[in-house]
Amino acid sequence: MKIAGEATLHAPIDRVWQALGDPAVLASAIPGCERLEPAGPGTYLMTVTAGVASTEGTYSGTVRVYDRQPQSSFAINANAAGVPGTLGTDVRVRLSEVDGSTLVSYDADAAVGGLIGGVGLRLLTTVLQKTADEFFAAVDNALTGNALTGNALTGKAPAVRLAEAPAPRRFPPGVLVGAAAGFALGAIWGRRVR
Amino acid sequence: MKVRLVVNGVPHDADVPARRLLSDCLRHDLRLTGTHVGCEHGVCGACTVLLDGRPVRSCLLLAVSVDGQEITTVEGLAHDGALSPVQQAFADCHALQCGFCTPGFLTTITAGLRDNPHPTEEDAREMIAGNLCRCTGYQNIVAAVLKAAGP
Amino acid sequence: MTQLFGAPIPRREDRRFLTGAAGFLDDLGHDALAVALVRSPHAHARLVDIDVSGALDVAGLIAIYTYDDLAGALAEPLPLLIPHPALTHGRTAYALARDEVNHVGEPVAMVVARDRYLAEDAAERIVVSYEPLPAVVGIEAARRADRLVHDDVPGNVGANDTQAYGDVDAALASAPHRLSLDLAVERSASTPLETRGVLAEWDTESGRLRIWSSTQTATGLRAAVAAKLGLDLTNVEVITPDIGGGFGVKIVHPWPEELLVPMAARALGRPVKFTEDRGEHFVAAAHERAQLHHVEVGFDDEGRIVGLDVRFWHDHGAYTPYGVIVPIVTSTQLLGPYKPGAYRVEYDSLYTNTVIVTPYRGAGRPQAAFVMERTMDAIAHELGIDRAAVREMNFIQPDEMPYDFGLTFQDGRPLRYDSGDYPATLEKLKKLVGWDAFEVVREAARAEGRRVGIGLACYVEGTGVGPYEGGHVLIETSGKVKVATGLTTQGQGHQTVFAQIVADELGVPISDIEVVTGDTRRFPYAVGTFASRSAVMSGSAIALAARNVREKALRVAAEALEADVGDLEIVEGVVRVKGNPGAEIALGTVAVLSNPLRYAFDEASQAATQFVVGDPDKPPVADDDEPGLEGRDYYSPPHATFANGMHAVIVETDPDTAEIRILKYAVVHDCGNLINPRIVEGQIHGGVAQGVGGALYERMAYDEQGQLQNASFMDFLMPYVTEVPHGIDIDHLETPSPLNPLGVKGAGEAGVIPSAAVFASAIEDAEGVRITSMPISPSELFELRRTHEDRR
Repeated sequence: MKIAGEATLHAPIDRVWQALGDPAVLASAIPGCERLEPAGPGTYLMTVTAGVASTEGTYSGTVRVYDRQPQSSFAINANAAGVPGTLGTDVRVRLSEVDGSTLVSYDADAAVGGLIGGVGLRLLTTVLQKTADEFFAAVDNALTGNALTGNALTGKAPAVRLAEAPAPRRFPPGVLVGAAAGFALGAIWGRRVR
Repeated sequence: MKVRLVVNGVPHDADVPARRLLSDCLRHDLRLTGTHVGCEHGVCGACTVLLDGRPVRSCLLLAVSVDGQEITTVEGLAHDGALSPVQQAFADCHALQCGFCTPGFLTTITAGLRDNPHPTEEDAREMIAGNLCRCTGYQNIVAAVLKAAGP
Repeated sequence: MTQLFGAPIPRREDRRFLTGAAGFLDDLGHDALAVALVRSPHAHARLVDIDVSGALDVAGLIAIYTYDDLAGALAEPLPLLIPHPALTHGRTAYALARDEVNHVGEPVAMVVARDRYLAEDAAERIVVSYEPLPAVVGIEAARRADRLVHDDVPGNVGANDTQAYGDVDAALASAPHRLSLDLAVERSASTPLETRGVLAEWDTESGRLRIWSSTQTATGLRAAVAAKLGLDLTNVEVITPDIGGGFGVKIVHPWPEELLVPMAARALGRPVKFTEDRGEHFVAAAHERAQLHHVEVGFDDEGRIVGLDVRFWHDHGAYTPYGVIVPIVTSTQLLGPYKPGAYRVEYDSLYTNTVIVTPYRGAGRPQAAFVMERTMDAIAHELGIDRAAVREMNFIQPDEMPYDFGLTFQDGRPLRYDSGDYPATLEKLKKLVGWDAFEVVREAARAEGRRVGIGLACYVEGTGVGPYEGGHVLIETSGKVKVATGLTTQGQGHQTVFAQIVADELGVPISDIEVVTGDTRRFPYAVGTFASRSAVMSGSAIALAARNVREKALRVAAEALEADVGDLEIVEGVVRVKGNPGAEIALGTVAVLSNPLRYAFDEASQAATQFVVGDPDKPPVADDDEPGLEGRDYYSPPHATFANGMHAVIVETDPDTAEIRILKYAVVHDCGNLINPRIVEGQIHGGVAQGVGGALYERMAYDEQGQLQNASFMDFLMPYVTEVPHGIDIDHLETPSPLNPLGVKGAGEAGVIPSAAVFASAIEDAEGVRITSMPISPSELFELRRTHEDRR
């Protein structure tokens, strides 16, 4: 299924580019993200608690960032599996500067398998869309003021929750370690970019 | 919300949302599926049960509103495995075909005959005038009322 | 042993219904997920968008399906069940609306949730955007065709067909008398007390699907589900639970829900159940009856019809899954028990933006009887002749049977009446209702200031249409007899009636017999229960199967008893030598012997083991034989067998309020041999009640926008006990059918076929005003009186 959209991030393109490459930002902005650990150049191991209409579960997998055109575009390939099923997605992200803000547009191709695939396309695409919106809103928050460390410490509830869901999780310590490592990597990345 | 319903002499405790209909509570929470739902707007009478002895439309009542009250359903009409006179009369007179409306008639008539043990034919018709049946055309149901009333 | 065939014994299945222990669809599947459908509120609209985001907040939401989730054959339109060459523009719906909706109630999305309340909560929060289009409602609007239901169906005409014999134009031109009539019948519906429902379980490990559905055809549904879900037939089971009435509406298959619920069960790996609610049933199931007729009839001085030309328009709603069966039935059954010199019938079957039209008890016959009987009355009135006498003049005579019209019936076979004695039926009816003495009754009433009238109506009904049904009879080693047939049961007493047949054929006590219907695991080849066919079709097949079993039992017993087959009889389940008490063998033991064993499983079965019995020089199971004491057979008739009946009614109309009261209702009915007269009578009672409803109360009130304004029992008026006659006088004639081994004909629809006609006849007789459309309510009668008086 295809999901596409855009979001406006209130920061110039270089800061946006840096934020999107920063694992600590990503870890706190991805709804339901419990862990985002670097596992090689541009690759992360990710654990996410996600759910669509009672097929909630913990999904683990790999996220690979590639095709980076600094300040311009990149692509993500992600694959995760959990008890309720599997999720695979390929996303193209493009940035463009608009009056000091950055317009981020994304185009994703996603495939689901297992029980999570049985909940219906509209439900899935709506939830994924909402997740994407939540993600960008969180990145925007990080860029415009809320201290990043504050977010990482206080944790973040997954964006889309149904009443059956367990209580919002706090980030376990492992994530902080991961985040710190990410900081380091991000710094390296950031330095490369410069 | 917690409710206690005494159904056919047996107390049942259930935890139901306030908007749960009595018909759904009986059928799905208490698993007493003898009471049927034909319209859910109180017209057909298939859902009729006896509330403290009075015939009521269980599809028009909320389970929480009858907390603590005594309910008789079709499952409570027979005694020690023997069919009640009304049930037996229905069998004798071929007063049921598909059987879907039958529980509502049985409870209605059980209460009706208790209040008027010797109905005339007109009385018998009046007694069942609030229950719909699509199969039998009512002729044999009227006969069953009179048969159950006895000589 | 007393013969049970023909005995009015009480039903054997009643106990579970009387004690609340029956298993209707919604009584099953307590742990299943629940379903709610989002349905179109527009009669005609383009589907623009479905926004499900609002539903995400509902606790217990599991899934939401739209057309985008349908793959493979599921994404194609629903099957066109009965194709016909004249149905040049047949259209069926998608299981969930794809680009447009064509009636209020058409399903657009399906929600699966933890329970029905939550499913409805979620469904309410789904926002569907439509672009409303102009709706076509009613026959006149469909004919005008200034708007179309389907863009690619010109004139809204789905089918046009003509059947004829003789030269009707010449006959009309030369007829001594001619009349024109315009007649109308309004929509009604089956409206069983139990709505539709389906429960599906998917076994992930074996890839097998098990479905329960409140359907009139288990085998039809099974085939459709297998085809649409891409499953092997042998991996799909359909079981019918107890069913709370069908009356035709449940023969339609597959309903969208009958495909979507199994699809969801498979996708989610959990049982899923749909229970329709009443409001839904009015707009999501099916209706029937609406037709407009124009009749030209030519007749002689004695009222004999020399030419009958009928042109009619049939409203089939938004889609045509059931083809043109209803108008074909109308076209052919219109002839009734009569033989017009020449006949032509042409119909247009028209699309409207309303609920689909499929058979409802009678299936086009009530309209046909209304038209023919109004015509007969009109002829009688024109010539000043007794209405019964006019009919007698036109009857096919018993010695003209079999009577072939040269037309094609709804089963694709010749319209050929096999038997019937119409003059005798009419004689009985006249006596039963007091026809000849009625003028005295009328005068006496007039003297009291009361207005009464008498009417009569005749019909013929083709019953027992094919292609076939089958029966399986098996005797267990315990002596218990297990009977199965593939068609289904909705209150017709099959578990009693079929047991009566087997009890007689085999000579076993009826208490030893168990009957199962509508379970593809027990009998996988069948058609379904509809068109008054189950007694004829399954009754005959079961009788034939039982005869096979009897023949084998006698053969095996003869060997065991060292007697001749001709000297044996079976009484109370025991095979014995006539006139030789003590030389006997129970059927259960015969069953043991019929299966050569290596391993005994109990003491009795030792008798069949290899060292105890059997000829060492012969194979234990002969070439042309099979192990076991069971028989399977099928009945497949060359064409339908024709029942007939006549009704008469005496009504009183109130001079002030125009209220219509039934004083006396008489039925003479010929359905050949009766298996259980009590059950046949019950069918007639029920049919008459539906007939009263159709004549006086039931109509579907659509407004111009295609909104059904009376979609509830508060406003769609079905008869209570207060609306039916105080007793129905019934007499039978039995002209056995020559077409099946039992000599039976169908009885299921008889009560409802002539009712609109007979009430019109009686009300007209009471009032002297022409009744040309049904139903007629007191306020309509009031209006008719006024117009009639204004004209005078």
